Amino acid sequence: MSEQPRMIYLENISKEYDGVTVLDDINLYIRKKEFVTLLGPSGCGKTTTLRIIGGFEYPSTGRVMFEGKDITDMPPYKRRVNTVFQKYALFPHLNVRDNIAFGLKIKKMSRGEIDKRVDKMLNLVNMAGYGKRSVDSLSGGQQQRIAIARSLVNEPEVLLLDEPLGALDLKLRKEMQLELKSMQQQLGITFLYVTHDQEEALTMSDTIVVMNAGHILQIGTPKTIYDEPANAFVANFIGESNIIRGTMVRDELVNFSGVDFPCVDSGFGENTPVDVVVRPEDIVILGEDIGQLTGTVKSVLFKGVHYEMMIECGDFTWKVHSTTMQPTGSRVGLSIVPFNIHIMHPMKEEAK
Amino acid sequence: MTDLQLPAWAPWAMGIGLAAFIGMVALSVRRNHGVKRSLFAAPYTLWMFIFTLLPCILIAYYAFTDANGHFTFNNFSSFWDSNYIMRENLRTVAGDEMAATVARGSVNVDTLVYSLWMAFLCTAVSLVLGYPAALFMADRKMRLGPTLVVLFIIPMWMNFLLRTIAWMSLLEDNGLINAFLQWIGIGKMQLMYNQQAVLLGMVYNFLPFMVFPIYTSLSKLDPKLAEAAQDLGCNEFRTLYKVTVPLSLPGVISGITMVFMPSVTTFFIPRVLGGGNTRMFGDLIESTFKTAGNWNLGSALSLIMMVLILISLSILRKADPNGEGGGIV
Repeated sequence: MSEQPRMIYLENISKEYDGVTVLDDINLYIRKKEFVTLLGPSGCGKTTTLRIIGGFEYPSTGRVMFEGKDITDMPPYKRRVNTVFQKYALFPHLNVRDNIAFGLKIKKMSRGEIDKRVDKMLNLVNMAGYGKRSVDSLSGGQQQRIAIARSLVNEPEVLLLDEPLGALDLKLRKEMQLELKSMQQQLGITFLYVTHDQEEALTMSDTIVVMNAGHILQIGTPKTIYDEPANAFVANFIGESNIIRGTMVRDELVNFSGVDFPCVDSGFGENTPVDVVVRPEDIVILGEDIGQLTGTVKSVLFKGVHYEMMIECGDFTWKVHSTTMQPTGSRVGLSIVPFNIHIMHPMKEEAK
Repeated sequence: MTDLQLPAWAPWAMGIGLAAFIGMVALSVRRNHGVKRSLFAAPYTLWMFIFTLLPCILIAYYAFTDANGHFTFNNFSSFWDSNYIMRENLRTVAGDEMAATVARGSVNVDTLVYSLWMAFLCTAVSLVLGYPAALFMADRKMRLGPTLVVLFIIPMWMNFLLRTIAWMSLLEDNGLINAFLQWIGIGKMQLMYNQQAVLLGMVYNFLPFMVFPIYTSLSKLDPKLAEAAQDLGCNEFRTLYKVTVPLSLPGVISGITMVFMPSVTTFFIPRVLGGGNTRMFGDLIESTFKTAGNWNLGSALSLIMMVLILISLSILRKADPNGEGGGIV
């Protein structure tokens, strides 16, 4: 992806509503043909970021650059981006075909060309034959497809998607995730996708931007974000994790729960307080006497692929995922290989 | 003024109606082994029966009878030709030749057409003034919107007769406006007792009935729809006529109904501000009853009016089948 030129560049964007800071000095660039996901809990500013790019909000400070040009004050109808709205915002007074043709008609395209493009789009979103239907008669998933078709038919340079799958049930959502991803690759359009669903973000994105409280916490590939979360918030938000306070004794040695663990991180200095993050699936359960830690199984939940066990070691309870079950009350030993111990600086309070 | 001329069967009709009503209530109580909720509507139903349904029946009765209570279509002939009775009387006294010299009197039909025209003008002016006002009021970005809503409502708390009379003191020869015109050197103008004054009074009184249904309709619109239109390339103006206006049509239709109906039947405004120079159908009905004392013709005119209103209601209902405009359609 890195060879592609930068398409959109958000430069020091801040946004305030009535004195409340929603976005605080956001810097972000999006490359051509990239699938970028803004991920964060509700109220983190991800939708506002999207709306600033779409032109529906203006930043309090900062600039929006589009292919090197400042488009901060450009109205939405002049921008070469299209938006798929959260609740679709299909026009209820128009049928499916007219909804999709809306943008093309505004561009005064010829009838023949409009028909051709609309038919192509209906095929692309598997809705051929629905052209004459009223949008109210469609199911949520179908409306979703029409909303995507209505945007894509204009061949935007960038497609902005604001939690487009939020209203769909789990199965349909999974299907649509794959479809959206393949559409994006097929058409070679830049996607900027907003979601609070970490799994969705991991499945679809080339790049994930994790946001919280108006700040960007981490930008990276799904793998980087998952394997090397920048701080405890990211670690906690992406997947499940055990987060425990510890002390970096020296390079490649960390102490937590009163035990020294070899790890692979360095450069934190000596005797520095740190956050230690360990994924539940990275903890190995051994016999009581051979683990690095010793604990008691407090509860066991069957989760389908694995068992989720809560194991109490001293004053910290570890969440452990394993395919073999240990009965409640049994004493076990826990071990973590150095590679799976993630050390991060304690988070600043504001970003929590 | 004539005395109330109730037909001989009127007490009977009332009696039967009441008995039927009481019977229905009794049946309902028995069938449901107790008081059904619809029973709470009984006082209102009774009210409607006595003051709405019964008068309607009476109007229909008078419209199809003559002064002696005999069935006739003469009242409708008199609507079409105001000299009809005179000519028929002449025919009996002096024969067909003399009767033929009496020309058709078109005053009733002309008044109706004039009323429809005035109502049309009033509706059109209200729509042109009201739509932008509603648009402004419903715009979430305009902080003045809610204030404007209140400003529209406040005059409605006052009696509409008072409001109309208040216009007199503004428009009359020595009124406020003329005083101002004189002061700035234009001189006095004849502002009252003409069609413009009547139209002004009508628009002033009925404008809120146009604004509020449209306002309701507009404020129910998802703001995302306008954003979607802009996203797809519409500037503000195109967004308005491609999305906002079509989606607010139920409100517009409701507004048109609520302004047009009372406009056609209004009689107080033309009397006060038109000073008898402009006569509308409402005035005609009123004077036919009260001045001419012709209850039968008056009822026929009322019936024609009612039928016209019902027809327009049903047409408008087709345009907004779900009553989304929030009006009384």
